[in-house]
Amino acid sequence: MSHMSASKLPPFEYYEPATVEQASKLLDNHGDEARVLAGGIDLIPRMRAGTVKVTQVVSLQRVNGLDYMRRSTAGGIDFGAMTTLHALERWEDLRVGFGALYDAIHQITSVQAKCMGTAVGNLCVATPASDVAPALAAYDAGILVAGPKGERRVPLPEFYPAYGCTALGPGEIVTGVEVPAIPKGHGAAFLNLVRTHADIAKVTVTAAVVIADGLCKQARIALGAVAPTMFSAEMAEALLEGEEMTHELIRAAAAAAARETRPIDDLRSTAEYRRATTEVLVARALHKAAGRARVSAANWGADRGPSGEGVTR
Amino acid sequence: MKKQVLTFKVNGLSHDAIVTPNMTLSELLREELGLTGAKESCGVGECGACTVLVEGKPVLSCSALAIAARDKEILTIEGLAASVGKKPGELHPIQQAFVDYGAIQCGFCSPGMILMAKALLDENPGPTREEVQEGLGGNLCRCTGYVKIVDAVLAAADVLRKEAGT
Repeated sequence: MSHMSASKLPPFEYYEPATVEQASKLLDNHGDEARVLAGGIDLIPRMRAGTVKVTQVVSLQRVNGLDYMRRSTAGGIDFGAMTTLHALERWEDLRVGFGALYDAIHQITSVQAKCMGTAVGNLCVATPASDVAPALAAYDAGILVAGPKGERRVPLPEFYPAYGCTALGPGEIVTGVEVPAIPKGHGAAFLNLVRTHADIAKVTVTAAVVIADGLCKQARIALGAVAPTMFSAEMAEALLEGEEMTHELIRAAAAAAARETRPIDDLRSTAEYRRATTEVLVARALHKAAGRARVSAANWGADRGPSGEGVTR
Repeated sequence: MKKQVLTFKVNGLSHDAIVTPNMTLSELLREELGLTGAKESCGVGECGACTVLVEGKPVLSCSALAIAARDKEILTIEGLAASVGKKPGELHPIQQAFVDYGAIQCGFCSPGMILMAKALLDENPGPTREEVQEGLGGNLCRCTGYVKIVDAVLAAADVLRKEAGT
């Protein structure tokens, strides 16, 4: 149980490599015995509870070049593996241009957890209940990976091949995240269902749509806590794309998304409840996203329009 | 597992301590340095009672490694008043406000609450009530019901702004 009172951490060796290459080599050499330490808010309590057993801990805190936030030349946002959730939450470009991602971060209750914890650490824990992962997925984020075989970019849903797993191979680490620029007519909304705000989600939804000429050109419905991994509800997305987002179509898409879930019964909810509330949350998120998309299309280029291509900053 | 003698800057003073990698920051502070102000309560980073400031940022000392804090500036509740030039026995304005507003009952959460409040006010000297509530979202109190704590932080913010002349 994670709530047992504090016992001593088991022994381990600790490393603070200075470069990505050194970190990668340490991880490669030690295999399953090693774990990356970023903010530590997940790893340390788990090691203490005995649910993660490792003998080698590789801290990234002194690796150069992993703590950054910047606008990409295309108008998207990039941030590093050691960028804290708190830094992202306070970044004006993220809040103004990527509001659903801001909402997903802002609703995390503990300021301490956000000051210590990193967005990439949150992703690498690979819990299906992450709020940050679906929010990033709905914005088509790519995960930047470096390792013994060089660098690669993994689209977010593909980063989670199975429950609790990431697509990282031996010796690979995540170095950062790229979020592409949002186009004209884009709107997104984050919603989750929680028992209390300090708890993890029973259902977490981020929907994003692009509306042009009155039609949905692109739909993203990223869901968490309702399947072994975060996933995109592709059948629901396909229903929307190319169509006018009427009330009826949104209802049909939400029902389709609920059918794509594979929830479980646990102490937070029954599977049945999770599926039913997914349908409600997806419908609400799609309505919100569509409303924001219409505002974005109308205000594009004006002062209060979202940032992105074609907007000078 | 290697034992090392490392240097820590705690409350403005340099301390050498023998640490192993599996020592948490709260163990270092409480057991090696005798600074028992940071309370270890849940041990899993959910209650905020172990909050200290590292390089000015709030850190859950139960979930941080001591070894990772070497050479960094650590502030605990014991050093808070002195950090603003108070003499021994005097209180920091946030501490004074907690006393004045009855924001302390059993006192177990108070060091974490007060240090979190300091981090909040350093970043945002004029918070709204809602911003104080959000800022203390990671600190649990089982006695007071939070109203007096929030009142105290807002009152301390006024005092600190007046002292700063803003």
